[in-house]
Parts: sequence; structure tokens; C-alpha cells
Amino acid sequence: MIDFDYIRPRSIVECVELLRRYEKKAKLLAGGTDLMVEFRANDKKVKDVEIIIDTAHISELKFIREEDDLIEIGAGVTFSELAESDLLRRYAPILCEAALAVGSPQIRNAGTLGGSLGTASPASDPAPPLVALDAVARIAGPCGERELPVSLLVGKSSDEPMRHDEMIVSVSFKKTSGRGGFSFLKLGRRKTLAIARMNVAVYVETDENNMAVDVRIVPGASFPSAVRVKAAERMLLGKVPDVELHSEIGKKLAEEMVKVTGRRWSTPYKEPVIAVLVSRALNEAAGVKSNG
Amino acid sequence: MDNINIKLSVNGRDHNVNIEPNARLLDVIRDQLGFTGTKEGCGVGECGTCTVILNGRKVNSCMVLAAQADGSKILTIEGIASDNGSLHPIQEAFIEAGAVQCGFCTPGMVLSAYELLSHNPSPSRDEVKIAISGNLCRCTGYKQIVDAVELAVGKMKERKGDKR
Repeated sequence: MIDFDYIRPRSIVECVELLRRYEKKAKLLAGGTDLMVEFRANDKKVKDVEIIIDTAHISELKFIREEDDLIEIGAGVTFSELAESDLLRRYAPILCEAALAVGSPQIRNAGTLGGSLGTASPASDPAPPLVALDAVARIAGPCGERELPVSLLVGKSSDEPMRHDEMIVSVSFKKTSGRGGFSFLKLGRRKTLAIARMNVAVYVETDENNMAVDVRIVPGASFPSAVRVKAAERMLLGKVPDVELHSEIGKKLAEEMVKVTGRRWSTPYKEPVIAVLVSRALNEAAGVKSNG
Repeated sequence: MDNINIKLSVNGRDHNVNIEPNARLLDVIRDQLGFTGTKEGCGVGECGTCTVILNGRKVNSCMVLAAQADGSKILTIEGIASDNGSLHPIQEAFIEAGAVQCGFCTPGMVLSAYELLSHNPSPSRDEVKIAISGNLCRCTGYKQIVDAVELAVGKMKERKGDKR
């Protein structure tokens, strides 16, 4: 186990000051479900860490609130708290579904949304729903606060989206109209305690003629980062959702994936499976039943 | 790296402990406080044998920094039985349902059941399965464990009835 000191700030301002002071020698601790595993493995990500800054007692990070048409979630909210939130059940049920898909009950009681976004795994479960909701992260640093789309925070990227003296404070997104349907699907090697092999978050809203007016498709653990696949979304806009069309959209999305990733060792599995996963999610979100 | 002093309330009693900053809660519970009912099965949060109840919520103590738990209330398997030593209905049910083979997963399983029943006294079988989904068992195949929790539900309702 790596040696380090421990410090417990009580506010965001104090926390940012500590990050500034200790530079790359400090790491933020939230639920510990990623960091403690990295420490135990002497992971190269943490080998230079000399001090742990514990964010778990910063009450400013623990909230879920609505203000007009925005929902904002503090970085310190745990996955259990996300799943149990009535407000989120109403306006972002895919985020609740994704929260319930993470790890195990024990991990969900400790792991936080901010911590998960900080780890920024390409296989993240909460990331696709947040990107589908066009969520934006609020980031605090020594010079004040700024906003960054969640789609730029997660996944593999050569550019570091955040500086070492910045921290995620919250994420927020606009409420959807309430007339659309959501779907979150995850494939893992087992039903629980499983990292996503692939997941997908989908939102479909239709007008009074049953034509799609708002379509959001975000696959996870398949593209280098969680992004809305507009080429696939465009295929449904202005059309009536149906099973055959969704199947074509799934195949189109798989094509887009291979264009971006190239043919990798996992492609023979991921290409056909992402196509089916996306079409199933579209069927569920749009409320159409398939025969298979 | 200087040691720090923390206070933990474990099974209803306060303990002042001097710890290294990088100590895990699991190590403090087992090695410094002597509560060895909590086990280390994997050390990475995948097996649940280190489950404890921290401020009312079950967590994997192998992934909790002890320093972070300063000032917290902890319940371990040793705190489940009554002060006079009589077993909790969940523990009785585990024995009666044959849900204990090697016993290594049992403390974590009992605590997961305890946390479930403390906020949901009438869970469905599916809810029981979700409650223990973070606890692995290599011996029983899980059926007897789920049966034990269902049996415990009945026992606890009966006890509650008797108290009235």
C-alpha cells in the first residue's frame, strides 16, 4: 500500500486551495471505490501521490435540486442516492437505471457521481445517460468556476480536460419535455459486480403524429468516449419509430463505431452486438414491440 | 507520514484509535480492534466478505480509508447478536435454513440481510437477491441463503408481535 497523508477540507474553496498547494502530489478521495483499488495495486496513476484530500465531508457537494427547467446533482451524491431520488426518477430515469447497474449495493453506497466522472472510465455506466441528457459539469478551480460538457470529461482522450488543481462540483442538465421515453441497457459478464462490456442510453420523443422530434443515442464502452451518435439519431428524426427502422439504425451505429475505432480484437463481438443493443434500446424508449 | 487519531463507534462502543493515514477500515477493525468476523476475501470490493454497516449503509470496508470513517458509527457481525449472547433472528434463520457451509461469506451475508430488513421488513425474493448481490458465496449456490433471509423475515415479524 502506498504511503500518503490525509486531509479533510470542509468546503469547496478549502479543497481547491489544497489542490493548488499540493499540485500533482494530491489526489481527491470521494467514495474510494476506484482510488483504493488503485492504491492497493500500486497503480502508476497514483505512484506520486503524497496526500489524499477527502471530499466526503464537504456538504456543498451533496444535493439533488431543480431550479426552473434545470436539474443539478452535486458531485458527492452516491449511486444509491441517485437511484433513490424521486426527482431523478421523474426527469432522468436512465440515470437511476445506470446508477443501479453500477457494481453492487455496497459499492453504490460509497461510490459517487463526481468520483466516477473523475475516473472517467470508457465503460462508465452513468456517462451515457448524462451525455444523452446533454449534461454539463461545473468545475471549480483557483480562478473560479467553469462549465464543461460531460461528453468531453469521460473516455479516452489525449487532452486532459481538467487541470490538477480543479475539481468537479456538480453536473446539471435541462429537463426533457416529459413526453419522451428513455432506455438504458447494459451488457456485462454477469448481472451484478460487472463492468459494462457495452451499454447504451437512448431517449426518443415523438409528436402528435408519432414522428420522432428528439432522438438521443449514446453508446458506452464502444466508442473511445461517450458521445451522441448524430448520424444514427438523424435516421429516426421526422420518422415514425418502428422495429425495422431501429434495426437499420443499430447497424448504422455499428458502422460508425468501426469507422472511429477501426477493426480491433473486440470488433467481431462488438459490431453485431452494439447494433442489436441500440435497436433494443430504441424499441424500449419508443415503446414499440419487436417479435424476437 | 504521521499517524493520526480517529474515533470510531463500533457496535455501540467508542474506540479511540491511532492509525496510519493509509490504513483501511478493514485493517483497523480486524487488527487494531480485534473484530475478526469481518473478512478480507479480495481486497478490491468484489466479494463482500468485508461488508460492514457504516452510518446505516453497508459498504466494503476494504475500500474505506479508516481516516475517512473518523467519527462514524460502525456495525460489524459481532454487533448483531444481543448483549446476552442470544442470536439475532437472521443468524438463527441462517442456521435453520442450512445457509452456512464454510462460513466465510456468512458475516457479510448476514449484515446485508440485516441492512435490508432494517428498512424493508417485507422484501420480495428478488429484493433479497439484489440485497445480497454484492456478496459472493462459493459453497451454497445461494438458494439456502435467500431462503434463510425469507425465514428471518417471518421470525422478525413474530418477535415484533411478541413484544406488543
